[in-house]
Amino acid sequence: MSIIAPVRPTTEPATGGARTARAKGGRRRVLLRVVALLVLYALWEITARVTRNPVFIPGPGAVWHQLIVTSTTHDGVRGYSGHLLIEHLGVSLRRILIGSVIGVAAGLVLGVVMGTVGWIRVVAEPVVTFVRALPPLAYFSLFIIWFGIDETPKLWLLSIAALPPVAVATAAAVYSAPTGLVEAARALGAGRWQIVRDVVLPNALPEIFTGIRLAVGVAYSSVVAAETINGVPGIGGLIRDAQRYSQTDVVVLGLFAIGLSGLLIDALLRTAETRLIPWRGRS
Amino acid sequence: MSSDSAAVELANVEHSYGDVTAVGPVSLSVPAGEFLVLVGASGCGKSTLLRLIAGFEQPTTGTVLTGGRAPRPGRGAGLVFQQPRLFPWKTVGGNVALALRYAGLPTDRVDELLAGVGLHDVAHRRTWQISGGQQQRVAIARALAVDNPLLLLDEPFAALDALTRERLQEDLRRVSARTGRTCVFVTHSVDEAVFLGSRVVVLTARPGRVALDLKVGLPRDGLAPDELRGLPEYAALRSQIGHAVREAATVSEKAIGPEGVPA
Repeated sequence: MSIIAPVRPTTEPATGGARTARAKGGRRRVLLRVVALLVLYALWEITARVTRNPVFIPGPGAVWHQLIVTSTTHDGVRGYSGHLLIEHLGVSLRRILIGSVIGVAAGLVLGVVMGTVGWIRVVAEPVVTFVRALPPLAYFSLFIIWFGIDETPKLWLLSIAALPPVAVATAAAVYSAPTGLVEAARALGAGRWQIVRDVVLPNALPEIFTGIRLAVGVAYSSVVAAETINGVPGIGGLIRDAQRYSQTDVVVLGLFAIGLSGLLIDALLRTAETRLIPWRGRS
Repeated sequence: MSSDSAAVELANVEHSYGDVTAVGPVSLSVPAGEFLVLVGASGCGKSTLLRLIAGFEQPTTGTVLTGGRAPRPGRGAGLVFQQPRLFPWKTVGGNVALALRYAGLPTDRVDELLAGVGLHDVAHRRTWQISGGQQQRVAIARALAVDNPLLLLDEPFAALDALTRERLQEDLRRVSARTGRTCVFVTHSVDEAVFLGSRVVVLTARPGRVALDLKVGLPRDGLAPDELRGLPEYAALRSQIGHAVREAATVSEKAIGPEGVPA
């Protein structure tokens, strides 16, 4: 069954002009961001100097100073509350990581089941939406009663907070598996499980990944809530203690630590996404 | 034609979506090795007929048999759709390999299968990196990967540009002549029907019924496409079938009113 006429693959014409134009756009964006940051920095500095109330608005210098203080051992005190800033951050990141992994895994399983089994979707959908609407701090009290004040309730909190976005995204994507591709697989002789593995799940992967990024974001914003009780070491515990002692510069430092590491992790997830799902937006 | 040697056997087949009858009743017997083209205006139920033969739909009344059994998707028939329907998470080669894997065959014939539809050095490519015509070639290679006795094609070239369509038609004609597989090909193009078919069945507008059943006596191989198109018999068949298609469409419109059929 060989047909003659060989056909050479066509290459997408990637013209040099388009490439340099894109590089130019990229440089402009970076420049714009740097300028915006400088302006914000200047505004902050000016506001702090005008208000002259470091407990209300600490200046950038004070925050920078706290970065050095909390990252080193001074006068026999190690960092803040006996832990360096990086250690506080590390403990929080570890909690976020474990919580997200558990929440994402559970959300994935729940989402696939919800997307494939009709009555489970009917039952579980309002429950998931209900949990999603709750502020994590609200159910944290329950976890404290159930699991005490150590690591367990914190991980529960983060897992439960991370679960709904993944479950909802997965369920929606699995449920709306493209009929055309499912039929194509059936026509090739795929069984039920092969269709799930080779069509439904890969097709859902882009949306699942969006769900994962949302979940990690939710876990991130919940970590401070999870660390309001017995949260030291931990970046949330550091912020809470600093607030108690009116060390506003440490509070701001903590906010920066969370925000910047959050940006970094989202960038990592995005890179992973383009690597793992090259077909995103193509079909 | 005796029914036990028929590759496809339709007996009083009718299919309805709700209370709308899309097809039938239709009775057709397709002997092995035949290249049957179903042609008719859009919405006449010819795609539904193909889906019945593929086993994706069950007839409301009547029976459909392929190879003497009730059809089931993925058993005994390769299928090519209007859209390539390739899996974008697989490479070009991966798409073809999947067909072999489902059939429990070794996957080392992928390059050979792609070469069989005129594709070289594309196995490692992503599906969106090749042209629409090439994608449809991959879809054909995928449908031919397993040695099924039956090949079903649902307007496979309708979405392609005229030049690509003509080349693929010529290639498909050669493939079918060489492999001797039974083909059922759905189209709304009269020219495509005459060029490809060894038998052409014209369907009326909804509900689709057989309006004309015609053996095409043109030689299946040995002639260049242009020579074939230049034959006086070719022109005669074209005008006969074209006339039948137009007539079938208007007659039914008068009888049943304008169409608006669920796809």
